[in-house]
Parts: sequence; structure tokens; C-alpha cells
Amino acid sequence: MHYFALLLTAEANTSPDPDTLTAEMAAYQAFHTKAASAIRAGDALTSSAAGVRITGGPDAPTITDGPFAEVAEVACGYYVFEADNLDDALELARGIPAAKHGAVEVWPTVMWNQPEQPLDGDNWIALLLEPADNVVTPGSPEWEVGIAAHNEFGAAAGDHIKGGAALHPPATATTVRVRDGQATLTDGPFVEGAEVANGFYLLSAADQDEAVKIAAMIPASAVEVRQLAGVSGL
Amino acid sequence: MTHLDGVFRREWGPAVAALARWSGDLDIAEDAVQEAFTEALRVWPRDGVPDRPGAWIVTVARNRALDRFRRESARADKEFASVTELDGARMEGRDVHPVRDDELRMMFTCAHPALDSASRLALTLRLISGLTVPEIARALLQSDAAVGQRITRAKHKIRSANIPLRVPPADLLPERTPHVLGCIYSVFTEGYWSTAGPSAIRDELCDEGVRLAGELCALMPDSRDAQALTALVLLHDSRRSTRVDAGGGLVPLDEQDRSLWDRGRIARGLDRLRQAEGATGGYLPQAVIAAAHATASSWAETDWTLICLAYDRLLTITGSPVAQANRALAIGFRDGFEAGLSALDEIADDPRLARSSVVPTIRADLLRRSGRLSEAAQWYRISLAHKGSAPAREFVLRRLAECEATARG
Repeated sequence: MHYFALLLTAEANTSPDPDTLTAEMAAYQAFHTKAASAIRAGDALTSSAAGVRITGGPDAPTITDGPFAEVAEVACGYYVFEADNLDDALELARGIPAAKHGAVEVWPTVMWNQPEQPLDGDNWIALLLEPADNVVTPGSPEWEVGIAAHNEFGAAAGDHIKGGAALHPPATATTVRVRDGQATLTDGPFVEGAEVANGFYLLSAADQDEAVKIAAMIPASAVEVRQLAGVSGL
Repeated sequence: MTHLDGVFRREWGPAVAALARWSGDLDIAEDAVQEAFTEALRVWPRDGVPDRPGAWIVTVARNRALDRFRRESARADKEFASVTELDGARMEGRDVHPVRDDELRMMFTCAHPALDSASRLALTLRLISGLTVPEIARALLQSDAAVGQRITRAKHKIRSANIPLRVPPADLLPERTPHVLGCIYSVFTEGYWSTAGPSAIRDELCDEGVRLAGELCALMPDSRDAQALTALVLLHDSRRSTRVDAGGGLVPLDEQDRSLWDRGRIARGLDRLRQAEGATGGYLPQAVIAAAHATASSWAETDWTLICLAYDRLLTITGSPVAQANRALAIGFRDGFEAGLSALDEIADDPRLARSSVVPTIRADLLRRSGRLSEAAQWYRISLAHKGSAPAREFVLRRLAECEATARG
């Protein structure tokens, strides 16, 4: 089965010094080598200040440019793992360098649609967000209605959609942190806020304007659009 | 019907565990065993209890699960079907009792660290101990709805996130076993330390904690920490009947009637303690402390040197500030109350204890014992400013009144 890992870290105000950056890149390279057989997708995200938030749904989208209200930890990357069970997925997650200073949320996915080839060119991730009390359980009638709406989006967005998945409800997520070599697991997402992740799309577009235009058609209460850094080669 | 209750309590956990392995799904397992028990209630009083009630329950439960599956086959749950065929055949030939590995598997699944600790406890009490949701709610002083929701949510996570129903592989065992031990210990402590709620439920939780710890020893004979945990709960439990008086008030260790301590449990606890030698976790030093109390002929005869050593060991393992505060009390008895007060000063400002009444209560006790009653009264009052259980507060109020009366007199 497939698990979505969302990497969260405190975003630095200043760019790290070159040595730190090199060490971090090397740590990710090592992780990719070690976890190669399980990683199905993944990349770093560009700064959240350059991100865009869309609310109001496809009929009346309101677009807000970043930066957004200060939060301690922001999404800085993602992976999709193929693993037999949650134990194996958590084992992978604790190997991600971000787990050592930030946190990694591990979500079981529903219907992972894998990119056909490694993502090249300019790509974006659109994180689908819903109010916590509005999360639909896979298989329910509401879910089927949602699927139909997403199929419509799929038809409209066409080749721009490179991949994506729906996520199981937040109660099924697990947050992993590693401190002093010790992994700590927490039941649920990192922050159980008013809004929770519900799914994501990987989108290709010529530029951010086009990416936002496509993402605005996604049937979701809110969508956060972030450009992929394109550094992973995955 | 009471003799059936005993059979049910004994057979519930193993039956759910067997059905869970067979079906791969906790809900199917729980519902099927529940149905089999209902059937047993109908049939057994008429035909008598079968020779092998466990095997009977498992067979009926499996048939019920299959019936239900056929009825609901529109769900087209192919995975379930294949599991059923594969394991059904294997199970037909199975003799006597479901393999005990199933129970161990369930213990590890219910105590999985990706579930929060309250869910682990509720799930263990439901699926392994067979307590009903209202019983668990009463025992944990929560609402039925909250407990029911917690259990449903945990089972949903196990299924959706695919938490495996298994004993973890060898490389994961060292980090997972403590979660199982911790979950069993919390079953016991919920009964033993919680002085609220009906006492029958508290007794049941204590008994269940002791039973599960013993069970774990049988399932993991090489685990020294399981032996240490079992020693600890047996030794604590030997004092269960004396730690609360007829009026529900707490009776401190030095005022308990030692002749009423359960000698059988103490002997079994000491036996487990011998088998726990080499355990690396925090249960061993705690069991040593409990054993020192259990074997002392009086409060005055208590081996405080041994207890202080055990606290030192406990501190190096857990670093717990509460353990360090309690160690100060032990030092007070070993080296004199002034020494105890100095040792308490070392931990008094620890921010982890800022919201706890443990430091002021121990300070008050040391001052009271050294005859500094008005100072003791002052610290008892400070201790009352913190939150605490009703019986614990009543106990402090009693001490405070004693100090004030003697200081005036």
C-alpha cells in the first residue's frame, strides 16, 4: 500500500550556510539510496512565501499569495512510499533527514496515481485542505460524490495532472520525530488544526499562474499550491 | 450463570485474537466472537458447557463470520475471501485451543505506538480483556460515548493505515516490547492508583493487570522486563486490601496492617523478581522497592539502603523527577530527615514538577516526621493548592489537621 509522507520544518529566515546545505543534501542523497526500492515519488518544496492559497472552491475561487500567517512549522517536502504496512512506512519516515529537526506526517493514501515517469520540468503540488469536521470517509456516499467531482477536474486538467492521491482521515495519520536518535510517534497529524489535509495532486504547468489556474478548479474547500524544487530526480 | 462468566472472561481474548488472525480484521473478529458468546449463552445452559469451550467459541465465531461475509458478499472483499480460504483450512485441523501466538500478536497490535496511549489502554481492555465499553468507561471515569469512539477510531486506524496484526520482527522488538509492558502496567495502575469509581471495577482492573502480566511472561519467556513488571504488580497488589480504609480514605504504607498483606502474592512476586534479574527497564528497580516494603516486618525494619540504591538505579534508567522526589523521602529514612530535605532541594525547582503536588507533599512529610509541625502545615497547605484526586486531598487535609492540632497543643 502507499503512504504519503509530508515533511514539516521550521522555515529559516535566512538561507543556511553552504556547509549545512551540502550536508543536508548529502543526507537526502543517502536516504534516497537507502530507500530507493520504496520511494515512488518525492521532492522538496520551494519556500512557502512563494506559495498560493486558493479558497472558495472551483465556482468562486479566491486566490491569496504567500507569505501566510506565521506558523512554527511549514511543509517543506513530500514523499510517497510503497510499504507493506505502517511499521515499514514509519521505518522509512524516520530515515528522512527532516524528521531529525522537524517532523514527518505519515498518511495512508487512497487511490495513489503514480507519475508515469520521473517529474521533469516545472511542477507543483496542490495540497487539498478541508475543515476538520468536513472530512469524508472513503467509501461513503459523500465520497462517491467527491470522486465524480474529481473526475470532472481530471477531464478538465488533462495532462497537467501528473499524479496524486486521496488521504484517509486525519485520525489514521502518524507523526514521526527523531531526537537524539530516538524516534517518537504521535497519533494523528502534526497539528490538529481547523483544517486538515485530505489529498494532493502533482501538477505540471508552464508557470505558477497556470498552475494556480488549474488548481483553482480542484473541488476542495481550500488548496495550497507549492512549487516543487525539482531537486530529488524522482 | 456466574461460572459462564469465568469461562467467557478466559476465552474472550484468545478467541478474538484467533479470529483476528484468521480474518485480518478486528471488527470482524470482535463481532463474530460476540455472536458466538450470545450463542453459547443460549446453548450451553441447555446442553452443558462443551469440553473445549475455547474451540467451540472459535468454531462458532468463524462460522458466523463466514455467514455474515456471504450475506454481505456484495462488498466483494476479495482479500477477506482469500484469507478465509487459506486459513480456514489450516484452522479446521487445529486442536484444543487457538495458538497463543495469536494473543501475543494482539497485545503488540493493541499497544502499537502509532496509537495514543489512551487508545492502547481502551483497546487492550476491550479486545484482550473482554471488558464492555460501559465497563471500560466506568473504570476510566469517561463517558461511554468517548470510550466507544476511541475504540472505533483506533480500530479504524489499524485497518486504514494497515497497522500489522503481528509480533514485530526481532529488530523492532526491543523498542516495541516496552509499549506492551506499559499498556499492561497502565491496566493495573488505573485500578490500583485510581481511588475513584466503584471498587469492584478497580479490583477487576488490578486482577486483569496481574493476569495480563503473567500471560505476557508465558508468551515471552525470555523477557526479563516482563518478569520484572509481573513482580512489581504482584508486590503492589499484595497490599491492595490495606491501602484504603473502610471509609475510602488512603492508608499510607507505614500505617497499613501488614498482617493482612497477601502472602501468596508476595511469594509469587519475589519468585518473579528472581527471574527478572538482568532486566534493563524501570520495572526491576521499582519491583525491588516494592519487595523491600513487602518483606519488611515493620516500617522501622525497612531496608532503606536497598531502597535508595533501587531509586538510584531507577533514576539512571528513567530520569523521572517524581522518582527523584521519592528518593529524597527514602534518603530521609536512611540518613535522617535533614538529609532528606537536602536531597529534595535538588529536585524542588525542576520545571517538570511545577504543576505537581509531589514536592510540597514530601517536604511536608519530612518536616512533620522531624517535628517541625508548623512548617509542615504550611507545606501541606501549598500542596493543596495543586490538583489532586479527592482521596489524596482528603489525606493531606487529615495530615494538615493533625499538624495544626499538635502544633497548637
